[in-house]
Amino acid sequence: MAEVQQNEGGKGKNHQKKMTIRVDFTPMVDMNMLLITFFMLCTTMIKSQTLTIALPSNEKVDNVENMSQASADDAVTIILDAKRKVGSFDVDTVNGQVVPVVYYYFGKPGGDAGLGTTPESVAANNNLQESEFLANDEKSGKARGIRDIIQKRNKEVLEKINELKKKYENGGFGDLETKEGREKAQEAYNKAASEVRNDANLKKPVIIIKSTPQASYGSLVSVLDEMQINSISKYQIDNMTKADSTMVIDYQNRHHK
Amino acid sequence: MTAMSDVTVLLLTFFMLTSTFLSKEPATVITPPSVSTEKVQETNWVQVLVNPEGKVWLSMNNDTSKNWSNEKMRMALLDKVSEIYNETHKNKVSFTPEQKYTFSKLGTFGVPLAQMGEFLNLANLQEGQTQMDKWLDGSDGNPSHVTGIPVSWNNNEATPNEFQMWMKAMRQTDNETLAKAIKDGSGVAIKADQNTAFDVIHMVMDNLQTIHMNKFTLLTALKGAEE
Repeated sequence: MAEVQQNEGGKGKNHQKKMTIRVDFTPMVDMNMLLITFFMLCTTMIKSQTLTIALPSNEKVDNVENMSQASADDAVTIILDAKRKVGSFDVDTVNGQVVPVVYYYFGKPGGDAGLGTTPESVAANNNLQESEFLANDEKSGKARGIRDIIQKRNKEVLEKINELKKKYENGGFGDLETKEGREKAQEAYNKAASEVRNDANLKKPVIIIKSTPQASYGSLVSVLDEMQINSISKYQIDNMTKADSTMVIDYQNRHHK
Repeated sequence: MTAMSDVTVLLLTFFMLTSTFLSKEPATVITPPSVSTEKVQETNWVQVLVNPEGKVWLSMNNDTSKNWSNEKMRMALLDKVSEIYNETHKNKVSFTPEQKYTFSKLGTFGVPLAQMGEFLNLANLQEGQTQMDKWLDGSDGNPSHVTGIPVSWNNNEATPNEFQMWMKAMRQTDNETLAKAIKDGSGVAIKADQNTAFDVIHMVMDNLQTIHMNKFTLLTALKGAEE
C-alpha cells in the first residue's frame, strides 16, 4: 500500500507524533479495469483483407473484330448459383446461409452440336455439369470439387509453378535464412511465377465467370479465390447469356425435382 | 496493490494509444472469407457499404496527417456533389455553413441529396446524433425519411444516379492522392455481406463501371491458410 510518513512539526512541544496516511487504491484499480475493458471491447485489432478485381470497361465496342475471343478449346464457363428449394426456384437457406452451387461447362453452350431450340434438343445437348466449392482433401491433400476441375485444365501452368515453389523452398531464389534474403527470394519467385502464368506457350484455360442473380456474393469471392489458388491468369466476369439460363433451367428441371 | 495499479494503468495507456474505434455503421455485414492476404490500406480509400437490400452508404478514410483531413475532404465533397447534382436537377440543393460543418463531422453517410438538408438539421436538436443514426439505420419510424444513397441500374454516364454522382465527386475534388488511389483500384472498397445476392453487387459494380471505375477492391475476412 502507498504510505506516506509524515513527521509532523518540529516545533511541537509535547505531542510529537507520527502520522501515516494510507491511500486506498482499490477504487482506482477498479476504475482502470473498467476502462481497459471498455477499450478492449471497442477497439478493432484485426484489419480487413481485400481482394482487388479489375472489370472491363462498360463501353460498347464498335469493332467486334477487335474483341479478344477465347477459343472454344480453352473456354471454361463457370456459372454461380444458389441452392434452390425442391420443386421451385426460390433460394433455399441453411441456418440463414445461402448454399452456393456451381455449374460449369467447357467450350460452347451445348457443345459442338449447339443447344437447338426445342426442349428435347436442349436436354440432349446440355453440357452443363454441377460441382461445389470444396477445400483440399484433408488426408491426401488432393483438390476436390471445382478446384479439381480447374486444376486439370491448368495442368501445364501448375506443374511449372510447383517446380518454382520447390526451387524457392530449397533456396534456389536466394537465401531463406536472413530477412533480406527472404524478401529478395520472394520477389524473384513472384516475378518468375507471373512469367509462367502469362507464358503464351503453355496451354491454359480462359475462365468466364457468370452468375445468376440469386447467387451469393460469398460465392463470387470464393470463385475469385479459386482463380488465385490455381494460378489462372485469364478470367473475367461476364453476364449470363440466354443459352446459359436455358441450360441452368433445363438442368434444374431435370435434377432437382 | 501498487503493482497491480501500475499494471492496469500501463495496459490502459496501451489500449488508449493503439485503439481505433469501430465506427458505427447503418448495416451490420459479415464479409465473405477469402484466401487473399492483402491488407486494407490505412488511408485514402472510400468504403461503399452495401446491405442485402441493395442500399448503399459511403464513408471515407483520408490521410489525417496530410492536408486533406476527413473533415476538409467531406466539406469539399459536399460542395462538389451538390454542384454535380444541380447540373441535372431542377430542384437545386445548397447547404448552409452550419450544415456543411455537420456533414464534415459525419462518419458513414447516405441519404438522398434532396433530404440531406433536413438530415443535417437534426444535429441542432437535442440528441441529434442519435436521431441521425436512427435515420441511417432505418429505425426512426418515419416513412418519409429515406436512408441509403439512391442507386439503380444505369448505363448512361450523362445521367448519373446519386451514387454515381457521389463517386464522381470523390474523384473530382482537389484531393489528388485520393483520386490517384481511386484510379489504381485501391481507393474504392466494397463491403457487403456474404449472403447478399449477386444481383445487388452486380448493380453496384455496374454503376462503378459506367463511370469508368473499373478497378476496385472487395473487403473480405481472412480464411484459414489453404494451398
